[in-house]
Amino acid sequence: MTTAVTIPRHGGTGGATAVAARARQVVKAYGAGETRVVALDHVDVDIARGRFTAIMGPSGSGKSTLMHCLAGLDTVTSGHIHLADTEITGLKDKKLTRLRRDRIGFIFQAFNLLPTLSAIENITLPMDIAGRKPDRQWLERVVETVGLAGRLKHRPNQLSGGQQQRVAVARALAARPEIIFGDEPTGNLDSRAGAEVLGFLRRSVDELGQTIVMVTHDPVAASYADRVLYLADGRIVDEMHRPTAEAVLDRMKDFDARGRTS
Amino acid sequence: MTVLRTSLRNFFAHKGRMALSAVAVLLSVAFVCGTLVFTDTMNTTFDKLFNATASDVTVSAKGASDTGETTSRTGKPPVLPASVVGTVRGTKGVAEAEGTVFSTSVTVVDHDLDKLSPSSGAPTIVGNWNGNDARTMKIVSGTAPKGPDQVMVDADTVDKHHLKLGDEIGVITAVGTHHARVSGVAAFTVTNPGAAVFYLDTRTAQQILVGRTGVYTGVNVTAAPGVGDDRLKQNVTAALGAGYQVQTAKEVADANRKELGGFLDVMKYAMLGFAGIAFLVGIFLIVNTFSMLVAQRTREIGLMRAIGSSRKQVNRSVLVEALLLGVVGSALGVGAGVGIAVGLMKLMGAMGMHLSTADLTVAWTTPALGLLLGVVVTVLAAYLPARRAGKISPMAALREAGAPADARAGAVRALIGLVLTGAGGWSLRLAATADQAKDGSAWLGLGVVLTLVGLIAVGPLLAAGLVRVLGALLLRVFGPVGRMAERNALRNPRRTGATGAALMIGLALVACLSVVGSSMVASATDELDRSVGADFIVQAGDGAKPLTPAMVKAIRDTPGLTNVSRLKEVPAELTLPDGGVHKQSLYATDPAYPKDVRRTTLSGRQSDVYGRDAMSVGSDFAGKYGVKVGDTLKVAFEDGRAARLRVVAVTSDDTAIDKGKMYTAITTAGRYIPADRMPLDLGVLAGNGGDEQQVYAALRKAVAADPSVSVMDRADYKKDLREQIGQLLNMVYGLLALAIVVAVLGVVNTLALSVVERTREIGLMRALGLSRRQLRRMIRLESVVIALFGALLGLGLGMGWGATAQKLLALEGMKVLDIPWPTITGVFVGSAFVGLLAALVPAFRAARMNVLNAIATD
Repeated sequence: MTTAVTIPRHGGTGGATAVAARARQVVKAYGAGETRVVALDHVDVDIARGRFTAIMGPSGSGKSTLMHCLAGLDTVTSGHIHLADTEITGLKDKKLTRLRRDRIGFIFQAFNLLPTLSAIENITLPMDIAGRKPDRQWLERVVETVGLAGRLKHRPNQLSGGQQQRVAVARALAARPEIIFGDEPTGNLDSRAGAEVLGFLRRSVDELGQTIVMVTHDPVAASYADRVLYLADGRIVDEMHRPTAEAVLDRMKDFDARGRTS
Repeated sequence: MTVLRTSLRNFFAHKGRMALSAVAVLLSVAFVCGTLVFTDTMNTTFDKLFNATASDVTVSAKGASDTGETTSRTGKPPVLPASVVGTVRGTKGVAEAEGTVFSTSVTVVDHDLDKLSPSSGAPTIVGNWNGNDARTMKIVSGTAPKGPDQVMVDADTVDKHHLKLGDEIGVITAVGTHHARVSGVAAFTVTNPGAAVFYLDTRTAQQILVGRTGVYTGVNVTAAPGVGDDRLKQNVTAALGAGYQVQTAKEVADANRKELGGFLDVMKYAMLGFAGIAFLVGIFLIVNTFSMLVAQRTREIGLMRAIGSSRKQVNRSVLVEALLLGVVGSALGVGAGVGIAVGLMKLMGAMGMHLSTADLTVAWTTPALGLLLGVVVTVLAAYLPARRAGKISPMAALREAGAPADARAGAVRALIGLVLTGAGGWSLRLAATADQAKDGSAWLGLGVVLTLVGLIAVGPLLAAGLVRVLGALLLRVFGPVGRMAERNALRNPRRTGATGAALMIGLALVACLSVVGSSMVASATDELDRSVGADFIVQAGDGAKPLTPAMVKAIRDTPGLTNVSRLKEVPAELTLPDGGVHKQSLYATDPAYPKDVRRTTLSGRQSDVYGRDAMSVGSDFAGKYGVKVGDTLKVAFEDGRAARLRVVAVTSDDTAIDKGKMYTAITTAGRYIPADRMPLDLGVLAGNGGDEQQVYAALRKAVAADPSVSVMDRADYKKDLREQIGQLLNMVYGLLALAIVVAVLGVVNTLALSVVERTREIGLMRALGLSRRQLRRMIRLESVVIALFGALLGLGLGMGWGATAQKLLALEGMKVLDIPWPTITGVFVGSAFVGLLAALVPAFRAARMNVLNAIATD
């Protein structure tokens, strides 16, 4: 495997890392009988703590579904999902909501921010909802890390797309969640703004020890991760550690070719 | 064609959202149609009754009213001698003539002295059982009355009061009290809307009602075959000469109809007025609905424009949707209107007025008017949003979010609104300071309209300010959820403004009327304390009937009373020194009256009125016609001779009690009016000369024999006044409830559409950990803020109107401004609950949204 280390790396990858989230034999199916569609087909996966994991795969491979299930946004048909020591499969809406609020951060592809709230209000929203006081120092550090210090009073419609996504990143980081899920967080950005946001995610893993899971179909975005999982037809078909954009692209082409010949 | 198809599709795609607007149209149309059907049905019922009961030609004594009612100030009906019947019978073209005796100046009681008279205001009629009545009524049990101790009662009264044959009842008249037993029950063959009817034999009727035999109150004349009513009338008039009133059946029915028509018209227009208010409020709802639909469809419309739809087509497609809404809403409304009419009939039934659904009258104009009104109002209301839709640029198809609000149009609107509100405030000020009631009410009307329109126009601007204030005061406690609710309410001030304004209209009227009502009570109470010296007030039929001589005697015989004074109304024609002639009632009183009612005099003394041939005049009259103390007026008493009375006092009309009344002494009136024509007493006032409780009890006992007579001490009187005004207000509030319900539908509508608009936001917040409960609370708080915003505007505006009206009415003696804070506070707090209620369904639906689907929504 070629390595083109262009980005700072988290120290030592060999050692046993604690597991932040774990899926066992997870099945997610829609419909029944003839029209039954299996989005996830007995998936086993461990998300390592303090690492940046990317989930890749072609459209319809089930990558978004996997993320939604891991994040407690969607229910599974069978199987178990644990977040650290908590089993989240089978939890009722109330507990799931609280879990999302207190232990998970989200960055969506678009429409991440409430238009009525200013940038800083958006950042502290999850803590406000929970009725918690944000940790001042930490907040300042996060805001500084994502470079938004001068724009905290702005409303989302006064910010560029890249700035909006940076606010979303800041929000995800501010509450110090155990794990952050990103659903194509750079999908709507141009490459420069995308690189910026991905840089922040990378730094938050390296400098702040954050755990991040990101769904993407962009090989460049995936190359920021420590580990890339490949999904196809609802199964994990491959993985890659310390990826580079070229390597990821090659692997994708491989799948594509195989997909076409099969 | 395409336009129609897209409109149809859009309409059905949003049928849920259209439903609330349709309900608003439905309610307003239903109220209009219900009113029309109900009043038409009343007309039909009474027409049938009048046509059935009148004989071909009726002869009555002079002094009876056109409608044949025989009440008179003396408590006895005007009569004609029995010989008239013979004369008529001998007239050419007369097949049959029969003397009738009947009177409505009666009180009928059962064995326990409970009134058998209807409580609905319908008359109690006691008369002789005659051939004409025998045609329109059927004896269903027992026999017709014969002899002094028998009485026949109509079936409705029998049912209502559970009477049986043989039960004893008492008939109280000016002559005295007569007891008889129920000998028979007769049922109307047409619907009897509510009158209670009692029949005696002719001799007994004459004795009880008039006090002597040999007289009748009228003659029912039946035409010989082939003789027309008009011809018959001519013949009879020719035979009798002047001095009698001769009317054909048609004339009697017309007179009856005219009298009833006046009352029905007042009722009809009052109810249509409230329907109009509901329509006005409904317009806001429709405007809001279409504005939101257009806003939501901005990209779609942009696309339509991009692929070549013209502005006109887009505009028209929205209007066609409105047309559909109008047609559907109004059609349902017409149906519901008939239901409302039936409901009103049932309600009247519960209040003692019988109307039969068999008489239900739906004129073709009723549904036509309902449909026309509903459709026109809906399409007009949708016009602005439709125009806005037409203005959407094709570029909107490419933009991410809906077009931002046009800030400049908002500023212009706010400016116009401020100017109008200012002008309205100015005219209210003019109204408050006017010294002519007529000018003042014109200014008041103008001010009300201008401030209302102005506030509606500044609504969005005010929403931005007031919602922040309300938010700071009420929502901050709810932390971030409250803050988001506040921001959401502020997000589209135009929408919040319109939603709140709809609520404002109804509540402004409530506040205004409650201020006027309670000021009225406070002023009257204040006046009562200042100028009424009497401790007890005795009246019959709440002042509508005169007291019988027997009752007056019973009162005067009660021990412990001082300053007993009677009050009689004696109509007269005044001839002033300058030759001017005025029809005017004088009030004849006892010398103790000035102690019971203290009047301020501008010149002369009130007590001098009780000298020989003296009178007083009110200051308004005196000022207007230049009458002063020392003048002598010619007073021609309607019931007696002409007198020349000297003016000895001018009483100030700056009062609410006895305003404008001219007094004279009963002894003076007695010199010119023969005893048998002297009007009965309207009321008796008295002071307490012993232990108040004991005297009060004794007085009540003294009048117990006639349940139509009530004794009130000062506390009772005040309470009675409060209750009367309270009842009136409650009725008006009930009718205003319609407008408020429509406004609440508007709040529901706004919230429901906001929730749909914010689906993605809600999904995001739920993903970030907002619990369902928090989400519901957020929507509820938004709703409460909107409702309170409307309440604040409405109550403020209404109190302003009310205070102005009071200042104006101070000219009429309503001197005290009393703001009913409990009512105002109650309405304010109630509005918060209304807000909660309105948010129930939208909040529930928002909370039930699937998080993932919500986020994925476009």
